[in-house]
Amino acid sequence: MKDLSKLLNEAQQQQLHAVTRRHFLKECVAGIGSIALGGLLGNCGGGVQRADGAFDLNALNPLVPKSPHFPGKAKSVIYLHMAGAPSQLELFDYKPALHKLHNQPCPESLLAGKKFAFIRGVPKMLGPQATFAQYGQSGAWVSDHLPHFSKVVDEVSFLKAVHTDQFNHGPAQLFMHTGNARLGRPSIGSWVTYGLGSENSNLPGFVVLTSGGKTPDAGKSVWGSGFLPSVYQGVQCRSKGDPVLYIADPDGIGRDLKRSAIDAINEVNKEEYKTFKDPETLSRIAQYEMAYKMQVAVPEVMDIAKEPAYIHELYGTQPGKESFANNCLLARKLVEQGVRFVQLFDWGWDSHGTNPTDSIDLGFRNKCREIDRPMTALIMDLKQRGLLDETLVVWGGEFGRTPMQENRDNSDMPFLGRDHHTDAYTIWMAGGGIRNGVSYGETDEIGFTGVSGRASVHDVHATMLHLLGFDHEKFTYEFQGRPFRLTDVEGNLIQAIV
Amino acid sequence: MKRKLLVIFFLTVIIATVGFFAVQQEAPVDFSTDVKPILNKHCISCHGGVKKNGGFSLLFENEAFAKAESGKPAIVRGDAEHSEFIKRLTSDDPELRMPYNAPMLNNSEIAILKRWVNEGAKWGEHWAYTVPTDVDVPKPFSLARLIGWQSESLTNDIDYFIQHKLNQKGLSFSAVADRETLLRRLYLDLIGLPPSLQETRAFVNDKRDDAYQRRVDSLLSLPQYGEKWASWWLDMARYADTKGYEKDGYRQIWAYRDWVIKALNQDMPFDQFTIEQLAGDLLPDPTKDQLIATAFHRNTMNNDEGGTDSEEFRVAAVLDRVNTTYQVWLSTTFECVQCHSHTYDPFKFDEYYKSVAFFNNTRDEDTEGDHPKLRFYTAEEEQHIDSIKYWLTHSGSANLVKSADLFLHTLEPKIHAHYSDKLVNGALYDTKWLGIRHGGSARLRDVSLTDKKQFYMNFWTDVGGGTLEIRKGSVQGDLLARVNIPATKGRQVIVSPLAAHAGVHDLYLVFKNPSIPAEQAVCMIEWFAFLEAFPMSGAGSDQAKVQRAFLQVVNSHAESVPVMIENPQDMQRKTFIFERGNRLTPGTEVQPMVPETLNDFPKNAPANRLGFAQWIVSKDNPLTARTLVNRVWAQLFGRGLVEPLGDMGTQSTPPIHRELLDYLSFNLMHKHNWHIKSLIREILLSSTYRQSSSLNNEDVAKDPENYYLSRGPRFRLSAEQIRDQALAVSGLLSKKMYGPSVMPHQPDGVWMTVYSGASWVTSTGEDQYRRGVYTFLKRTSPYPSFITFDASSREVCLVDRIRTNTPLQALTTLNDPVYLEAAKQLATLMIAEGKGNVASCIEAGYRHAMLKDPIPQKITALQKLHTEALDNFSKNPKEAAKFIGVDPATLKREELVSRAAYMLVANAILNLDEFLTKS
Repeated sequence: MKDLSKLLNEAQQQQLHAVTRRHFLKECVAGIGSIALGGLLGNCGGGVQRADGAFDLNALNPLVPKSPHFPGKAKSVIYLHMAGAPSQLELFDYKPALHKLHNQPCPESLLAGKKFAFIRGVPKMLGPQATFAQYGQSGAWVSDHLPHFSKVVDEVSFLKAVHTDQFNHGPAQLFMHTGNARLGRPSIGSWVTYGLGSENSNLPGFVVLTSGGKTPDAGKSVWGSGFLPSVYQGVQCRSKGDPVLYIADPDGIGRDLKRSAIDAINEVNKEEYKTFKDPETLSRIAQYEMAYKMQVAVPEVMDIAKEPAYIHELYGTQPGKESFANNCLLARKLVEQGVRFVQLFDWGWDSHGTNPTDSIDLGFRNKCREIDRPMTALIMDLKQRGLLDETLVVWGGEFGRTPMQENRDNSDMPFLGRDHHTDAYTIWMAGGGIRNGVSYGETDEIGFTGVSGRASVHDVHATMLHLLGFDHEKFTYEFQGRPFRLTDVEGNLIQAIV
Repeated sequence: MKRKLLVIFFLTVIIATVGFFAVQQEAPVDFSTDVKPILNKHCISCHGGVKKNGGFSLLFENEAFAKAESGKPAIVRGDAEHSEFIKRLTSDDPELRMPYNAPMLNNSEIAILKRWVNEGAKWGEHWAYTVPTDVDVPKPFSLARLIGWQSESLTNDIDYFIQHKLNQKGLSFSAVADRETLLRRLYLDLIGLPPSLQETRAFVNDKRDDAYQRRVDSLLSLPQYGEKWASWWLDMARYADTKGYEKDGYRQIWAYRDWVIKALNQDMPFDQFTIEQLAGDLLPDPTKDQLIATAFHRNTMNNDEGGTDSEEFRVAAVLDRVNTTYQVWLSTTFECVQCHSHTYDPFKFDEYYKSVAFFNNTRDEDTEGDHPKLRFYTAEEEQHIDSIKYWLTHSGSANLVKSADLFLHTLEPKIHAHYSDKLVNGALYDTKWLGIRHGGSARLRDVSLTDKKQFYMNFWTDVGGGTLEIRKGSVQGDLLARVNIPATKGRQVIVSPLAAHAGVHDLYLVFKNPSIPAEQAVCMIEWFAFLEAFPMSGAGSDQAKVQRAFLQVVNSHAESVPVMIENPQDMQRKTFIFERGNRLTPGTEVQPMVPETLNDFPKNAPANRLGFAQWIVSKDNPLTARTLVNRVWAQLFGRGLVEPLGDMGTQSTPPIHRELLDYLSFNLMHKHNWHIKSLIREILLSSTYRQSSSLNNEDVAKDPENYYLSRGPRFRLSAEQIRDQALAVSGLLSKKMYGPSVMPHQPDGVWMTVYSGASWVTSTGEDQYRRGVYTFLKRTSPYPSFITFDASSREVCLVDRIRTNTPLQALTTLNDPVYLEAAKQLATLMIAEGKGNVASCIEAGYRHAMLKDPIPQKITALQKLHTEALDNFSKNPKEAAKFIGVDPATLKREELVSRAAYMLVANAILNLDEFLTKS
């Protein structure tokens, strides 16, 4: 009988649905992780109240650094997402055969059973709208749209046959970032921050930066924490206005007065704690302290004006603007400061050909010009600071573009454009344990479908988690009565590039 | 007194002795409570609904005792020694030992399984799937009670259940919370707002025995009660002001939010509340309110992006309705069953689609127009409708009146443009609207023409002079109608007579207009409709006039709200199993039916949503009442009696207070007749609820999380409550109820969504200070401070908001202009009431917020802040002016400095842990 009640008690303890800060506290103090991670590092061993009666605020932080399943090569991630989906056929996936088929009707065999967002009837093939050459020791194919990037190709591994199953932006972006096309799952940045914590207690562990004038189509869910506690959701820092909402002190309040106010609040809260002994009160004290520190740390790290001239030259940055270049530099600064996951979104890659800006020959070329120098600079800058080895850089869109020219509503478009394409697109990765100069996966002669080395979105996730030290099949979170993973029930590590 | 104690002592001895012997006689192992948790934890992921390794599954009884791949059953009833199921647990061979590749079960687990098999391996049903019965209240026999003496700590039956468990754990009730704290708790729980100081003082001084009960009753009757509890229900209903997905455009559906507030305030019984929301449209002659209630399931998301397949997202919405219904009413994670039999709970794969079949026959089809919608007409238009109906009543049939009424109020049943196919020389523009060029055509397949003699079409075009020919069977088929297409200003509905043709036919629509350029479409069409003929003549008025009035009403720009409308008989959809959950691989057809494990489908109930709703609120349903009780309890105590709130079944934690849950659930149905207010009242009147929430060290050690409820609830307020409270204590809060959602101040640049021209236009006047339940909710970009405090973005059903504690929350309440404005107002009250004395001013501010006198240490801390602020602002009066937001020239220097210093203190008060917390 005694055994039974003990058993039940144990079962109960383990099944308690862990969602509140109370849980973090318990996890932190008692070391009962809801995920089977290794030992908890940092300040978690001790209690919250030190022997001298003072409060140890670090012990209350749910973002303390944690160890993964095994030592990972990458410590942080910078994910560059080109929202709208850039054309692989004008950048990395060189298809001379497509030149020859240019303007010819698309073979029916390619269209059978396929669904496209806008293509109707029989479209014409569209030859590559760029000139290609091979670069570096690896001989990687890169188009003339990316003259800078062609110099760092030996640092990079390409996945040439990535595929997805979503052909609309919103669901495809959700799939790319949460492993599921529907809403409600945590983003990869949330998973990583949940699993590893953050190295800097003055900054959020997961930061999001957007450029291109708009947020991604799927909205903030692509950096949401889903069913994970909201402390792991991405914090969007804006390059215009306050970098974090409400981070600026009100007009008329300086740092010293804010300090006084926080001191007074925390002093009263400590009295409250003495009466109620509620651990949440201690958490609140810690969070107010952190908020105060963030108010300085975030604007400081978000200010690029003080960077030396050669850095601005390298990235092509202009302080005060919302640009991909500024965001690349910020990403480097954030990672340098110990931020775990930096997610960039650059909007404006949806090259349908409805107008000059979204045409594959004009607008696309301009977008490439905007990213070429900064993303190259990011890799070079991380390398010269010795950060590239431990920083995984990922570049890609939510799907690819068709080898056919778009013919919306069954008529030619006014400008050259390509439709959404799910069967094959290119993602590249660099640093953080990625092998140098590998090109993995191949598409057919016209770049329609992967013929070898196909990689699914889940495979990409499994590989990213592996580099960070996680077995993606064991990295789970209990929700609604079952363990959830980023890779759901799929995903294989892409051995060729790690 | 001594004698009483003696009696109690003897009674205790007797009870203890009886208890001792009861324990000695060991009860057989219980499958649900003892065995099933072990199976779920260690076995079922490889031997369950998804995988059946070795041909062995422990999910259903027949599977567990069937022959496994070895050819023998793994479990031999009554014989653990010869059961492979037991032998494998201790095998030395790592290839054979189970769980495979995982640590061995511990000895007590193995002992339980062994005993279970030896005792006959009786399968049992989980308690959650058996109907709650009338539970005996565990009142200890007490002579004292017989003579009318009652312990102060026990008020009603709830307390006996709690005390029973407390005793087992060696815990006892905490003292009653002080009156100020208790009243604030009560107000926040019932109306979501704190009491005023006057109300608090009156309660503190009210010496009547029923002073507390009077407060409970009067608060339950306030209209603010509905506003508070609506937030809880609207999270589950996933109510929002936009449609979701990429475009996330506006959806006018606030009438549903108002319906919820009113229904809660009227204390509509939960069975009726359920039926009206799930199937109000299927009730006989539904009222407008009953139709608005069905908007519950029109809160599903709608994808307006070009290129999207409407059928894909229609199906997604239907599945969401099924999943949400099971989640909201039955605490069941039914979505698991979409792809395979439930891993843990006894629901089979095909049962999912049988439930889908109940929901698969509504008219909505993920159209941009969000059809069908209930249209609200002006009084004048309603008069027209009445006269049309009068004429039809006297000239036609009752059925005709009904279908005309339905069409006028919902424009249903209509056929959407995306239904057309075989397009020749034309396209479905943006995959939404049909545009065919001169000489081109389109097909509408399987249109039922029986009795249909009117053709309606909603379209627009700049150029008139076109024609549309409707032909039967082919583009050269019989001509049923020739419609002249005029130029329109915006969208317009026109009508044309249709040649009589019974039966179901493919219709070909042939478009002509030689005068327009070849690439231009003749017109753009949103929808078609086929209606019965109006009588040729009738009472008092002529047919043409009625027809004109009818068309005029149809063309009026009425306000509307999306509702559920069932498909008519001739438009019924079939429902198929989706193999592996994929709609593109349909399997066998299924008919509507409820899962076998749960109660039977009620006799005489119709096999549609209405019947399904009646099944849910049948008193034989084991989950509905328990679910409601559990969630109401969680609203008040911060945690349900069963956890998690979203899953009552084999995956839920074995509840400590299961008897109490069943007692309250049984009473809810049979005593309270589904009245939620009665349930809440019963809980609030208990001593359990009234306890102080202060922890003492002994309790913390025995029960750190307060599962046994030896103290009162203490947890952070909800996002809406935090804002509402700050507005309330500073006197800014508007009491205005209902109507379109409002847009209080939010920082620039928060709304940046693709393609939609929508913008945040800050409300003016009192609309800036409305309660949070009225704040505009855009799914892809919700009001930022609410999201920071864990409110839902309402994209999908949410039954349990998590409660986080983050630095972003601190930044919000410290720096968001709405909290600064509240601080400014509170400072004004402080200065007025403190009459020049600093400590008095600060005490006044604290009292407004916390409704009680502060302890001296707190005043000292706040006074220190005041001194520092005063000192700082005296040196920088311009900064003081900036902080208050006034022109420094308008106020005297001392005034400026003093007001700014109090405002900063007020800002601190509005950030105190105790202010953000319900204690």
